[in-house]
Amino acid sequence: MTFDSVFTKNDLAKYPFLKETAHYLSPLDLQIEDLISSSMSPILDRAMERVTSAIVDLTVRPLISEQGNKYEIKDLQKELVSFPVALMLVSATENSLIKKRYALAEAKQASHSLSLESKDFIFKIALDFGWKITLAPSGSTFEFVLYFSDFLQNASHLHDAKWKLINSKLSEGNVYLNTRAVVRLLQEEIKRRIEKRLVTVAIDKYPPEISELADKLAIIASEHIKQTELEFPKVVVPEAFPPCITVLYDAASKNHHLPHIGRFALTSFLVNIGMNSESVTDLFKSFSDYNERLTRYQVEHIAGERGSGTKYTCPQCSILQTHNVCKNRDDLCKRIYHPLKYYKIKSEMSQQNTSEKIIQLTKN
Amino acid sequence: MFVSSRDFVCSKFQEFYNDPSTVIPTPTSFEQREFAYLLFKERFMVRHKRLENIQDFQKILARTVPSDVYHSCAYYENPDLEMDKKCWIGSDLVFDIDADHIPTLCGKIHDEWACQKCGFNGKGVTPAECPICGSDKFSTKTWVCDFCIESTRVETAKLIDMLTKDFGFADNELRVFFSGHRGYHVHVEVDAVRSLDALSRKEIVDYVTGLGLSIFDKYEKKNHAKGKKQTDGTKKFSLYDYGWNRRLKVGMRKFLTNVTAENLKNFGLKNNNLFKNKDAILSRAIAGGRWDVISGVSVATWLKLAEQVKILESANIDTVVTTDIHRLIRMNGTLHGKTGFLKVEFPVCQLDTFDPLTQAIAFKKGTTKVLVSDVPEFRLGEATWGPYKNVKVVLPTAAAIMLILKGRAEVAN
Repeated sequence: MTFDSVFTKNDLAKYPFLKETAHYLSPLDLQIEDLISSSMSPILDRAMERVTSAIVDLTVRPLISEQGNKYEIKDLQKELVSFPVALMLVSATENSLIKKRYALAEAKQASHSLSLESKDFIFKIALDFGWKITLAPSGSTFEFVLYFSDFLQNASHLHDAKWKLINSKLSEGNVYLNTRAVVRLLQEEIKRRIEKRLVTVAIDKYPPEISELADKLAIIASEHIKQTELEFPKVVVPEAFPPCITVLYDAASKNHHLPHIGRFALTSFLVNIGMNSESVTDLFKSFSDYNERLTRYQVEHIAGERGSGTKYTCPQCSILQTHNVCKNRDDLCKRIYHPLKYYKIKSEMSQQNTSEKIIQLTKN
Repeated sequence: MFVSSRDFVCSKFQEFYNDPSTVIPTPTSFEQREFAYLLFKERFMVRHKRLENIQDFQKILARTVPSDVYHSCAYYENPDLEMDKKCWIGSDLVFDIDADHIPTLCGKIHDEWACQKCGFNGKGVTPAECPICGSDKFSTKTWVCDFCIESTRVETAKLIDMLTKDFGFADNELRVFFSGHRGYHVHVEVDAVRSLDALSRKEIVDYVTGLGLSIFDKYEKKNHAKGKKQTDGTKKFSLYDYGWNRRLKVGMRKFLTNVTAENLKNFGLKNNNLFKNKDAILSRAIAGGRWDVISGVSVATWLKLAEQVKILESANIDTVVTTDIHRLIRMNGTLHGKTGFLKVEFPVCQLDTFDPLTQAIAFKKGTTKVLVSDVPEFRLGEATWGPYKNVKVVLPTAAAIMLILKGRAEVAN
């Protein structure tokens, strides 16, 4: 088979998410049933290793042999094929935390490897993702010129102020960047591609042998991945509301007008911290434009009890800032990105204070 | 609005949509958009309509007579299904500049508000709370004047400058419209923006409105003893030639070129050196990039100036419209239910010369006798009318319809 290759097989083993790997993989016509055969067992082992190290310490160490400064991958074919097999295993766990973790670990590994590559090579990788990008002429104070929409699709998910478009070197539709920044943005792009692939490789029923491996991974995950799902106190603690929500909550309680985005932020915040739809609907009862049927419908929709069944999460801080809903920012606000996170920390702090007070009281 | 007045306006809207000379431009990719309209009499929003062709749609409008017609900025696989089955493909990048959301040169002195609880009323910007009873529920009657429109035009011009110079859109990639009420819409429909998600659009909004500019943090140092942030005087102030840095430079040049010592003080810029060294700042710092040679201007002063310029240079847009990837927007060539004016497109280069109060008039013929309650002097086309208070007058139909829809007049028998 011949094709115009941009990358060597060593490159593809190192960056197995690239489109070109298909030229090596499609002739194999790999099916899930094939994985059980004994000839596949070294590949399956390597795939398990990939996922396990991703879960345990968020890395995917490549199988390398040091040759001088350059590192070459041992057994290219095995390394290359182990990636799609790992995707199947991860997908078989049907565990969103493992999926996220695996995509992140692969992306981080790729980004680490990319940081050691030449600008030309990074440029080729960016093209694989369809970026509108050019190399800056030598002698410039920046290294890459990237079209703003490619920049935004990746940078908008990063929290640091330096990634905001308003702080970028934007001119005539292009953002001027250094190599480090481009590699960081590529990491986001790689993560997204892997997450997408995890969706497409999913099937309804896995062979028992694969399910068994998936169960093993789930056990490892339960031991190593900290539950990132936010857990809130059983009762609502209004004193722990972030300032923006306090403003909205007070306004709603006093029957004051709230803009749509404010109502949405308040409702989604309250249903997410565990207030039932009934109580949230009651909160809006005193509004002059209150319509019980409509309000109930909207609240239940946000709570995921209607329509598509997805529970809406509360908008993150930066969105509330954009729409001028963010009010009275305090010191804790500066350390978090999400109103729910604020509530989690503050409610835990107040719980601690309460228990400390109780201890104090019993001592006295 | 009396039934007779509503019926009159409704019949005029019907005449408009029935008129064979009324040509509603076909929206791009119309087969992938959702169409919606608000029924005049029932006040019911008909949604999730798919458009087969514009002629049939115009017939539907003539039959149902809506007060307002919309289409989605979004493209869907199934525009006529419910929201969660529509299957979003992409969305135009849309900006809405409306006098409702911005301070205007007229101070909205012509708008009327009345407290719904105690009936206390007044003119101008609606207060947050009723001065008498503290309620925040008001009924309002807005008005459109040349100053309102001019204020939104200025904001639109700043937006367009950013979209062309910073975002690199060509003039013919920007579609500019008078909204039909008191503002402008700018649509960008190029492929590159269609797939942008809500967070990316939020970043564009923050860029346009000047939110989160980190130049102000760069010079901060934390005073640990007091726990307060202070300006780090040891760092030298400078601006580079991209993005908002360039925008601040251009803005400073504009600002300082025409500024007087008095102006500066009004803006809270009390440092005399800023005015004394004005020429050196303009030529050596802003044009020459030699920020270090300006003496007597501290980093704190530069930042104060930059903050002022940022406010002047950012564009006041409705943030919610741009970030909403499912937004419905008024359809070009249809009537606005608050004025009876048209949403009209015009080339970017005509932003300065386009006169909405002439070119967005839909009802060009006939006169109607109306009983006007209270209106200031107003202009439509070349002619001005009013002020009127509790008088019966014969007005051009366009003016009569506008007054009725604004709640300031009723059809006189």
